Amino acid sequence: MSLSAETAVRNFRRRDARDKLTGRTRYTIDRGHFGMLHAALLRSPVPSGRIVRLDIEAAARMPGVRAIVTSADAPGRAGIGIADHPLFASNVVRYRGEPIAAVAAETEAEARAALAAIGLAIEPLPAVLDMAAALAEDAPLVHPDWRDHAVLHAGGARGGNVAWEATVERGDVEAAFARRDVTLVETSLRVPRQNHVPFEPRAVVARFEDGRFHIETSTQVPWTVRNATAALLGVPAAAIRVTVPPVGGGFGLKFDWALEPFAALLARRAGRPVRLVNSREEEMQTCLFRENAEIRIRSAVTADGAVAGREAVVLMDCGAYGGEQVFLTTMTAHTLGGNYRLGAVRIVSRAVYTNTAPNGAFRACNGVYNTFALERHTDEIAAATGIAPETFRRQNVVGDGDLGATGQVFEGDVLGPMLDRMRALRDKTPVATPQDGRLWGRATTVGTWFVFTGPSAATVNMNADGSATLVTSGVEIGSGSMQQALPQIVAATLGLQPEDVVVRAADTDAAGYDVGVGGGRTTVSLGAASRAAAIEVRTRLLKVAGDMLEAAAEDLVMADGRIEIAGARGSGLTIAEVAAHAQARYGPVSGTGSFAAAGTPAMAGCCAGHFIEALDIPVFAVHDCDLAVDPGTGHVEVLAYRVVQDVGRALNPPAIFGQIQGGVVQGLGYALHEEADVGPDGGIRQASFETYRLPLAGDVVPVAIDLYEGAPSLGPLGTKGAGEVPILNVGATIACAVARATGGRVCELPLTPPRVLALLSGEAPPPAFPHIAERHADNLLPSAPRQGGGG
Amino acid sequence: MMQVTLLVNGEERRLSAEPLTPLLDVLRDTLHLTGAKPVCREGFCGACMVLLDGAPAVACLTPVALADGRSVETVEGLGTAETPSPVQRALEEHEAVQCGMCFPGMVVTLTHLTRPGNCAPTRDAVKAGLVGNLCRCTGYERIVDAALAVMEDGR
Repeated sequence: MSLSAETAVRNFRRRDARDKLTGRTRYTIDRGHFGMLHAALLRSPVPSGRIVRLDIEAAARMPGVRAIVTSADAPGRAGIGIADHPLFASNVVRYRGEPIAAVAAETEAEARAALAAIGLAIEPLPAVLDMAAALAEDAPLVHPDWRDHAVLHAGGARGGNVAWEATVERGDVEAAFARRDVTLVETSLRVPRQNHVPFEPRAVVARFEDGRFHIETSTQVPWTVRNATAALLGVPAAAIRVTVPPVGGGFGLKFDWALEPFAALLARRAGRPVRLVNSREEEMQTCLFRENAEIRIRSAVTADGAVAGREAVVLMDCGAYGGEQVFLTTMTAHTLGGNYRLGAVRIVSRAVYTNTAPNGAFRACNGVYNTFALERHTDEIAAATGIAPETFRRQNVVGDGDLGATGQVFEGDVLGPMLDRMRALRDKTPVATPQDGRLWGRATTVGTWFVFTGPSAATVNMNADGSATLVTSGVEIGSGSMQQALPQIVAATLGLQPEDVVVRAADTDAAGYDVGVGGGRTTVSLGAASRAAAIEVRTRLLKVAGDMLEAAAEDLVMADGRIEIAGARGSGLTIAEVAAHAQARYGPVSGTGSFAAAGTPAMAGCCAGHFIEALDIPVFAVHDCDLAVDPGTGHVEVLAYRVVQDVGRALNPPAIFGQIQGGVVQGLGYALHEEADVGPDGGIRQASFETYRLPLAGDVVPVAIDLYEGAPSLGPLGTKGAGEVPILNVGATIACAVARATGGRVCELPLTPPRVLALLSGEAPPPAFPHIAERHADNLLPSAPRQGGGG
Repeated sequence: MMQVTLLVNGEERRLSAEPLTPLLDVLRDTLHLTGAKPVCREGFCGACMVLLDGAPAVACLTPVALADGRSVETVEGLGTAETPSPVQRALEEHEAVQCGMCFPGMVVTLTHLTRPGNCAPTRDAVKAGLVGNLCRCTGYERIVDAALAVMEDGR
């Protein structure tokens, strides 16, 4: 009777590959409807200003124009933590590219022509384009009315251009730094924005039918789109249905609402379906980037290499609206405050408003740069104390019973044994050091990430033909979890083959609430809900089969499409026979399941302003690389890359290998050449693929992979999310290896040839942050709640 | 507007279009062949690659007038669900696909590269041949494996 997790483990291929390979898959950008209109957005040409004139009358008379909407049509605000984001700029514009009006017309060309006919006058206001300007004394406020924004999550300190401030304080850091037997190490680091560049841009087709909106969209979060659209438009959430065709890449960019409310408004106004798709330039200019960040980290380390105290200030640029960064301030405690045992610790993590395009979520958000910062800092600690970096890590990584920054108690020794496995993987995959005058560098780093648990729902319908239908709000964004892990879990629970499980595409009218596909949560949260639903089906089928076979349900086994009396193979019935009998006799068999975060506790009073105080499911990663630096050109070639990843249980190893290879390569882009920044006009300077350099086939190496199984996990069948974490410590690993190759202090990414040459010539001073105060306490808002020195 | 005749996947199609209209838009909007993807629309990503008289070309930067009277093969013409081409089959078997947006262009380029004489059967040569095809999901290596497998079988 006991469910064998082993039967869920298999190399099961995804069912959408052939259509994708033959060009038949219809993504949102490929969809059309009879009578469909095409929409375009009027966007602000300046980063900050007051709208003194907005006249749509002439535009409304332009050929083919069927609807124009503005802020008058969308009264609400949305946000994460703070409802600070209106659909359209009304009175003021806060970033270059902010939508001001939307037009729907018979053709896209007519819609764009109408935009040009809108009478718009903006009186420029002073803009703060970076965090130094935003935090300067007497800086203009991006939201002068910040006090009026509705607070959706209590606990964060706010004030002026600080959208959100999260703090950690455990133990007496002052005392640790004042000890006479410690060495003080300080590192300052900076990273720019990273663009996700999903190949399908943000895209939507909306209709308004029978008093309800039907939104087809390229999103990772159908329920967020439903609820945010309702809030922005001021309509009931139940009036909105969201369905999701196959999504052409997300990586976190589509973990928030985007174009959907504009198309919905226009569809209602015009009474016709409306399509709205970002151009690539709009996509580059208004990407919800991985945020640029500035970090100062200090540690007090004893002679034998224990971290007696640590303090850090992390500034995260959220752009003109708080968005995901408000939430992500939480993650600093678990990433920068992770990996190692700490005596006392205090951290402040601030989301800072600027007059730039809003930032968002990107695969292992926050963790990628905080791991870069922590691991480079760790190498500097090792150098300062004369301990080998590998020894320092093996000695200090968190293990069973150790405390995290927020006082969470970790279970199991995971990182230590993973470091040992990495040493073995290195020995198995040696590379020749360069003999051509290039400088060789290598590094091993560790990283701590998590599974973003949270609510999920699933229904399993057992069909009389022996197939099962799984209904969830999960979206297939390319990772394959919806195609592989989920049907594998349901099939293993019901004794079916994964091929027998039909997976319903996301539809908020068909399935219950779900947080969304991201944060490594699909296999875990949707998987747990799906498994619970399948167990309910299984229980019903076994009861019916027991009646049919005149046996106790406990004596039955369900496997290979049959229900048998245990030990008597061939004695029973096919699952189809039982399902058909049950359907005729009692009605069709179905089951429902749900899942929610476990709410793992932190130490009382250790943190303020956090959305997650402790990690339900920590995920660990150990990365290693060998690389060669050309001292003449500054070019970095990766010679070998290795990953040992904590996956709990690997349900589909080839699928996980694919995620690791892809995630590492996105990380190599971040480490070596992907960079977006803001120009003096407030616009993103990298507006196309010409100036934003993505990794090419020739840049990459096959990643050597060892999956670490068996670490504790609350996930179904012991799983953890495996798709998000592969990017986590790539920037860290490359940075540490380049620092060792060049002897330079690597404090910034990406390591483009000019930066590497500057390191080699000693002309790369560490960044200085005048807006980060010398004293830790001076980096906190005066209103921030202070915790006691507990722990 | 001009009259244009295209031999699309072996079928003669006559249509009228502005001569500078990108071939990509004609394929997608007029002929409803949505396999080719508009991703960067500047010729960098290769997601809209087609075979123009048998040679790979980015449909976004090809004015339809320059395709007049020529053969255009799109991903739809290279294989179907029932009869995938060797390249499509190899990519499926190597589990190369993730989001899939780049694959219509990848399939077109690899169809050309794996024809005898177009590319040496080595990793480096295949990677050099993919310089005009970007992928954001997969990290490329399985795509290279699949291409080498096709070349191996073809020998």
